[in-house]
Amino acid sequence: MEKTFEPKIVGFLCKWCSYAGADLAGTSRMKYPPNLNAMRVNCSGRIDPSFVLRALASGADGVLIAGCHPGDCHYTNGNVKTLRRFRLLQRMLDQFGIERERVRLEWISASEGERYARVVRGMTEEIRSLGPLNWKTTMEVAA
Amino acid sequence: MQSYLYFPGCTLRTVAKDYDASAKACARALGFELKEMQGWLCCGAVLSNVEDNLMTRAGPNRILARAQQESDRLVTLCAGCYNVLKRTDLRAKLASPAQQSINTFNEDSYNGRVDVVHFLEILRDQVGFDAIEKAVKAPLKGVRVGAYYGCLLLRPFEEMKFDDPNRPSILENLLMRLGCTPIDYPARTDCCGSYLSVGSSENSQPMSATIVKSAHSCGARLLTVGCPLCKYNLESSQIPRAKNASAEKFLPVVYFTQLLGLALGLRPEELELDMQQMQAIREAQIPTSEGRDRH
Amino acid sequence: MKRVGLFVCHCGLNIARTVDIKDIVEKTSKRSDIVFAADHKYLCSEPGQALIKDSIRQHKLDAIVVAACSPAMHEATFKTIAQLSGLNKYNCEIANIREQSSWVHDDPQKATEKAHIIVSEAIEKVKLNEPLQPITVPVTRKVLIIGGGIAGIRASLDVANAGYQVYLVEKSGSIGGRMAQLSETFPTLDCAICILGPLMVEVYRHPNIKLLRLSQVEEVRGYIGNFKVKVRQEPEYVDVAKCNACGECAKVCPADVPNEFDFGLTWRKAIYTPFAQAVPPAYVLDAKNCLGLLPQACGECKKACDQLGTACMNLDAWPQTHELEVGAIIVATGYELYDATKLTEYGYGTCPDVMTSIEFERMLSASGPTLGEIRRPSDGRVPREIVFIQCAGQREPETALPYCSKICCMYTARHAMMFREKVPEGQAYVFYMDIRAGGKGYEEFVKRCQEERGLLYLRGRVAKVYEENGKLIVKGVDTISGKRVQINADLVVLAVGMIPSAGSKELASTLKASLDANGFFSEAHPKLRPLESPTAGIYLAGAGQAPKDIPETVAQASGAAAKALDLLSSPTLEREPTVAQVLETCSGCGICIPLCPYEALTLNANTNQAEVSEALCEGCGTCVASCPSSSLSLRNLTDQQILAMIEAIVA
Repeated sequence: MEKTFEPKIVGFLCKWCSYAGADLAGTSRMKYPPNLNAMRVNCSGRIDPSFVLRALASGADGVLIAGCHPGDCHYTNGNVKTLRRFRLLQRMLDQFGIERERVRLEWISASEGERYARVVRGMTEEIRSLGPLNWKTTMEVAA
Repeated sequence: MQSYLYFPGCTLRTVAKDYDASAKACARALGFELKEMQGWLCCGAVLSNVEDNLMTRAGPNRILARAQQESDRLVTLCAGCYNVLKRTDLRAKLASPAQQSINTFNEDSYNGRVDVVHFLEILRDQVGFDAIEKAVKAPLKGVRVGAYYGCLLLRPFEEMKFDDPNRPSILENLLMRLGCTPIDYPARTDCCGSYLSVGSSENSQPMSATIVKSAHSCGARLLTVGCPLCKYNLESSQIPRAKNASAEKFLPVVYFTQLLGLALGLRPEELELDMQQMQAIREAQIPTSEGRDRH
Repeated sequence: MKRVGLFVCHCGLNIARTVDIKDIVEKTSKRSDIVFAADHKYLCSEPGQALIKDSIRQHKLDAIVVAACSPAMHEATFKTIAQLSGLNKYNCEIANIREQSSWVHDDPQKATEKAHIIVSEAIEKVKLNEPLQPITVPVTRKVLIIGGGIAGIRASLDVANAGYQVYLVEKSGSIGGRMAQLSETFPTLDCAICILGPLMVEVYRHPNIKLLRLSQVEEVRGYIGNFKVKVRQEPEYVDVAKCNACGECAKVCPADVPNEFDFGLTWRKAIYTPFAQAVPPAYVLDAKNCLGLLPQACGECKKACDQLGTACMNLDAWPQTHELEVGAIIVATGYELYDATKLTEYGYGTCPDVMTSIEFERMLSASGPTLGEIRRPSDGRVPREIVFIQCAGQREPETALPYCSKICCMYTARHAMMFREKVPEGQAYVFYMDIRAGGKGYEEFVKRCQEERGLLYLRGRVAKVYEENGKLIVKGVDTISGKRVQINADLVVLAVGMIPSAGSKELASTLKASLDANGFFSEAHPKLRPLESPTAGIYLAGAGQAPKDIPETVAQASGAAAKALDLLSSPTLEREPTVAQVLETCSGCGICIPLCPYEALTLNANTNQAEVSEALCEGCGTCVASCPSSSLSLRNLTDQQILAMIEAIVA
């Protein structure tokens, strides 16, 4: 029997909102698939779009960037800058022929545990249906 | 000769021919032309502005789509048509799904590329009130006239942006240049009752009567408007005259284009002014002791 | 190579039930970068902590990873243990295998696999962490308070009484602010100036408070604990110390000026005292309205003063710049009222008998334009019918202010009540949308006013106010009866909204403090941090932050003072060292500079490279992500660390 494809998703969660939201999902014992591994950063603004590309190039099938809702950023407006970079990143992904659904930017507040769980579930299934990215077979990668 | 694309609307072709004729006469006297657009249709009046029925907006969109073929500016005279077309244009500029539906339904798409302006804006911005003042040949010798704005020129303010919604002054500014003494009175932006006069005139009559009374008590002896429906309501609220105390209280209503034409030296026949109206205009020049003259 | 140790917590069964602890310990100890690995039932307990301490000592560990619950829970605990064991606290990382694994996954195998990855991430990070020391900055133990209203007064007294130096900067010639302009205060009907006066005097006499009147903050540099402020003081033509407020100068002054204290309802001279109880109790020369000082056109005031022997005037005075060093700044700039002429439907400005609430307040005041009698401005007659319009130009997002100013329902009740008291045969109508009386004793007060004084409250709005035959025709609606209402009033009072004081925008930019959408000073968090600006070292008090009444203002002022005192309580300040740093590859392109919300980045004109003020930097990393040449790095969350963690995830 063929093994079901298990996508590998890298998550960047901002410590003030999204990571706390993820923690809340945990405290509330919500269940979601284990395909997403989260990394805690101070602010979603820390995320250089090249991290996303690196993650995809290294074997990730999808990337989630999660930050505070606009207006709520602990550092005033880091999330706004993330949004701007994300839009440009999306255009790059189009040019590479990578489906936009693989890279998501979500606003998740510290009280939105349910939302976090839903996003992880939704994203896992969506990328599962898209299939593995197979970066190395779709393009040359400089070491 | 400078030519502006013009949308007359139904009323100016029928009941308000005098408004249309006087405006065209003024235009000629001031050196420009109102060129009627091709293929115009009824704008639908205020009913076209309803939000929940896209069908009503198909007509005005079609008008603007056709106007777009000829010019990027459309001039209107009737306040009702102005209100409808301007707001239709604003909604079209938003490029919403609703607009897409309308464009799909109409054969000609409209995407918000026509500026809808009122004749007064042409007079103020293109010709200029200074130029008009210079062109005045027969100043109106202090005619005590109350400018009545009504609703549709001014409201809703965020969309119309025509003038200050509570204290507008464009008409008074023009009238002063013509030599008139414009009278300020509190009810000049109150509603005349609009279409209520068709089905329930018992509601609209008192509204119009209040306006007439307010203007009269402040010293106005003439009213001037930019909307055929306002004119009808204001006039009909004063009939039967038997209800009014005396004939003195009767305030005739003329279009501002007719006063403009007179000041420019045009003959009453060109402006479709009748004898009674001319008589009232002459009498309005005499200062009165009644009320406070506020201008 | 760091000697890294791993400690895995069972957390009772919270983790152990799903994650195979033994597996984690076994497999991880096989890593070449791990020197020691152990597990414990409750690492946060005393025995658990002892295990960590002992293991560090025994195995000479340089760094530890604690695989347990969320860092939000015990990161501080474990970092402290690390420190107590001789490690730098940044050599301790937490791997959250509870909230991120055991609690959210049912399948033990998958949960364990994921826990491995989480632990791996933490190990990669801790290996590259620098042993940072907190950034210590000295603290100047002085406080600058901007604004001399009740908020500034209260905060000044609190800080000064605690033993610290306060500079109180006030724009006008006297402290007291809006409260000094009030007649009474709700709900107690205390005489406003009677309760305020003693506090004003206390400020003036306090040895720790330096009052700078006629002054404004011009420039602020530095950062929390170390602000360098330039304050510009208008020329003191009158020597505050010598003036005894005899008033002889004003008697001979020929220049008449509308008195701003009474909103133009009375006149003053160019040399004047702001109000009878002004503090400092010295006259002020209004140079703009004086007939002329350069060259001197009149000089009668000085002559009169000299003749008396007091000789306290110097007409050749110049503005002064005070350079102050302070550790904390409290912004207490207060409010003014929305310009009612914009509310064209109410006729303010064209009908003389339409007044704003604060003008009516002055009229009520015993020291006001009519010595407390209520009169119509047009003809001086006593009004019989007064209409009060609440929410004038407020709660109207389309045309005026979108918010509610909180105090108007209360003072309108007071106004209407006072009117009925003074004019028993009069009738007061109040048009309202809601009655907001949430404070202590407020609801009872409003009810009392309504019932005892027979006030007519009409729930509805006013469409139009215009003049006719000497009366004000007020056209409104009563939504409860569903009828339109017309009142032929003698006087109309508009309860207009509170807006931030003039100059708030400029001050915010000088302080680098942010303003909210309505121009009020923003707080760091609307719920949990209402007294601090997001800019470190700047605190907020009073209506300058949002519309509020006097008890709230006083509470906030004392709170802000407490925050400032907390800052001043030690001679140095520790800041988190996980800040941005500029690497030598910086080419000075300047892309990062405008991105910092704290303005911690500047371009050094000499080196042509970016510079980070470590005291201002909050460590968000937004600038780091923007640098095209990777010349910015975030300490202990470097690009290298993030990439290593990514590898740990996808391997």
